[in-house]
Amino acid sequence: MSVQNGPAIEIAGLTKTFGRAKALDGLDLSVRTGEVHGFLGPNGSGKTTTIRILLGLLRSDAGTVRMLGGDPWRDAVALHRRLAYVPGDVNLWPNISGGEVIDLLGRMRGGLDRARRDELLERFDLDPRKKARTYSKGNRQKVALIAALASDAELLLLDEPTSGLDPLMEAEFQRCVHRLKAEGRTVLLSSHILAEVEALCDRVSIIRLGRTVESGTLSQLRHLTRTSISVETARPLAGIDALAGVHDLVVDDHHARFDVDTAELDEVVRALAPLGVRSLTSTPPTLEEMFLRHYGDEAAAEAEAAVR
Amino acid sequence: MTGLGGLLRFMLRRERLALPWWLLGATLLVLVQSTQSQGLYGTPEDLASLRRTIGGNTAVIAMSGPTRLLENIGGEVVFEILAYVSIVVAMMSMFLVGRHTRADEESGRAELVRSARLGRHATLAAALVLAGLANLAVGALVFAAAAGTGLPVSGSLLFGAATAAVGGVFAALTAVAVQVFENARAAYGAVALAIGAAFVLRAAGDIGNGALSWVSPIGWAQRTFPYVDNRWWPLAVPVAVAAALVVAAMALLARRDFAAGLVRPRPGRATASAALGSSLGLAWRLQRGALAGWAAGLFLLGVAYGSIGNSIEQYVADNPAVAEYLPGGAADVVDSYLAFTALTLALIVSAYGVVTALRARSEETSGRAEPLLATATSRAGWLGSHLVVAAGGAASVLAAAGLGEGLAYGLATSDAGQVPRMVGVSLGYLPAVLLVTAVAVLGLGWLPRAAAALAWVAVAYCAVIALFADSFDIPGWLRRGSPFAHTPEVPIDDWTVAPLVVIGLLAVALAAGGYAGLRRRDLGY
Ligand SMILES: Nc1ncnc2c1ncn2[C@@H]1O[C@H](COP(=O)(O)OP(=O)(O)OP(=O)(O)O)[C@@H](O)[C@H]1O
Ligand SMILES: [Mg+2]
Repeated sequence: MSVQNGPAIEIAGLTKTFGRAKALDGLDLSVRTGEVHGFLGPNGSGKTTTIRILLGLLRSDAGTVRMLGGDPWRDAVALHRRLAYVPGDVNLWPNISGGEVIDLLGRMRGGLDRARRDELLERFDLDPRKKARTYSKGNRQKVALIAALASDAELLLLDEPTSGLDPLMEAEFQRCVHRLKAEGRTVLLSSHILAEVEALCDRVSIIRLGRTVESGTLSQLRHLTRTSISVETARPLAGIDALAGVHDLVVDDHHARFDVDTAELDEVVRALAPLGVRSLTSTPPTLEEMFLRHYGDEAAAEAEAAVR
Repeated sequence: MTGLGGLLRFMLRRERLALPWWLLGATLLVLVQSTQSQGLYGTPEDLASLRRTIGGNTAVIAMSGPTRLLENIGGEVVFEILAYVSIVVAMMSMFLVGRHTRADEESGRAELVRSARLGRHATLAAALVLAGLANLAVGALVFAAAAGTGLPVSGSLLFGAATAAVGGVFAALTAVAVQVFENARAAYGAVALAIGAAFVLRAAGDIGNGALSWVSPIGWAQRTFPYVDNRWWPLAVPVAVAAALVVAAMALLARRDFAAGLVRPRPGRATASAALGSSLGLAWRLQRGALAGWAAGLFLLGVAYGSIGNSIEQYVADNPAVAEYLPGGAADVVDSYLAFTALTLALIVSAYGVVTALRARSEETSGRAEPLLATATSRAGWLGSHLVVAAGGAASVLAAAGLGEGLAYGLATSDAGQVPRMVGVSLGYLPAVLLVTAVAVLGLGWLPRAAAALAWVAVAYCAVIALFADSFDIPGWLRRGSPFAHTPEVPIDDWTVAPLVVIGLLAVALAAGGYAGLRRRDLGY
């Protein structure tokens, strides 16, 4: 069943409805073995639903899903030995201590690395003796994280694993994921924290309304968006408003500020060169900006749907 | 204390579904007892013979109240029912106060309310006012039920007031408990212990010289002797105690931090013991406390039933009407009494089976099952572990009930053989209990949202068939659906294995059907 070089997760045309609501509507997702894959999308776009299908907790309505060479629904138990999961909303048994939960989940997976467990407890500064009832949200999250990170799983499914962690713990988490990557493990990371995604992920998929809207490396995705340019030239700037891909132009003789579609950047720079460039700064789009564009699109689509 | 009115309205709204049931329960107890007692002991001669029978029967006194109440029919009603109405009212008050104070604080809901412009004591004050109103309502309803069924008005007024006073004391006690303990469960545990102690202390007092009854809120209520002496002054005690407790609660509240208690919870283990390594280990860990509670409760109930067994012959001879409730009629009175009480105990155990099996559902809806089922644990293993605990637990609770009844009856009759006999009789109901439990499992698989309702309907149906089939004249075909109707009523019937095997197989089939549904459906909603 183990396929060494194939993708860790391969989803095509995945559909899932709850009653009348369509949670997933033809979602595609491909996660390569050994990569950290960011899974992004606005609230309610279907990230958790996808992960639950990967865990065999929900049954898909249509589409194909392969994970670690198996079928997540049929081969659930066998696949679960090879993966670890951190839910977005961690609920624990109020009367059981954090240390006990970590051991329990580890043993039920098929064993956990004791030394690593103790090291993680130290790193994340978690008191394992406290009953779960008395943990804060962040500490509950840590319990699930430590249980997953102390495992020897090939694949980690992390659903907003750092929501509720403080910046210090966030940094610890990033260190841990770098180590996972170095060990050659695969991570699917759903997150709303873009700095985290930017720091950790090799590739990302952005979904919206249950459908994949973008997928690729961060630089590929940047290519689809605009770069901000600020330029000063020897000769007066003329005619650049006629260039393809230039937006939001502000010119004043020798100075100009504008955004350019990253795909057209090359053409625009060629057109500027003959004018005698004195200074030029180019700012690549942040993930934040890419996102706002996609989230904005969604808001627009929803407004459109409401009007119809 | 700003915002009290709004807070109170909000609380009343949240209680509109649960509170009516408590009120109804308390009212029904009085209504049924009053009608039944007046039917059974309507004449002075009947009452006199009752006094003779009960006069020296410590078991009956322990389960009811002081015999002075048996002077007239109104007093007889109070004798039989006031202790139990008190328990209902005490629990109602406990939950009313606990839910709106500590439970809300624990869940974080109170933080929202607190951040609005409210006085520090407003929530507790509103919860106490709410409990006060509920107890006034209980008092009025008890009065109405008693006076409405023809008991004297002045005594009924005191009966109602005494009931409300008990509720008030436990509301105030809960107000203190929720300051002391950091979580609602511990606070409820402490108050429940106090309710149990109140019952036991008054039992000991009523059997002895009466002194111990005076440290029990139930004892204070009973010792107003409604209808008999109609004395109001003992109610000064609960009023003073409740007032002192409220003052103490308010003072403690001012001294503690939000969401903290005065008693720090004990830390747990840093690593899991060897037992906590599988879904079965977890199910056992989650359920063992409840199992111990049920086993202890049913054991005590068995003891109560068993200790009356010896005097039942005399009692029935004096009260022929009682024999109508017993399956074997007046013949073989003791055996039919034992059979009937074993059946009653088994019906209660079927509620245990249902509660325990439904734990799988609450694990699922709370999201706690999700990380477990993301490990190498199969759905069959996860469900199975809860069912193993439910089945093993049901067997243990049945055995505990039989043990209690056998021990108490055996001691009274100096017959050690009663112990294995009654344990056997009780365990004979295991297949029936498992079948009712399996209804919950079937629901879990196919109609998860309706599983609880479905299972409780099955329990209620079995109880109605077993207890009221004759008095309600329920047709035979409708009775045959209950597995309890097919279980031989040992010791009046002989053991027959065939029906037990059939019921057991049906239970297994239903549970398997439930699993078939569970492995097909989405989890977690
Ligand atoms: N059990 C359910 N029943 C009905 N609808 C559901 C259920 N679970 C999810 N949904 C719906 O499916 C859609 C996708 O939800 P999902 O939880 O997968 O979103 P998400 O991307 O994880 O969002 P978030 O970022 O807020 O965690 C939402 O519209 C949600 O309301
Ligand atoms: Mg989610």
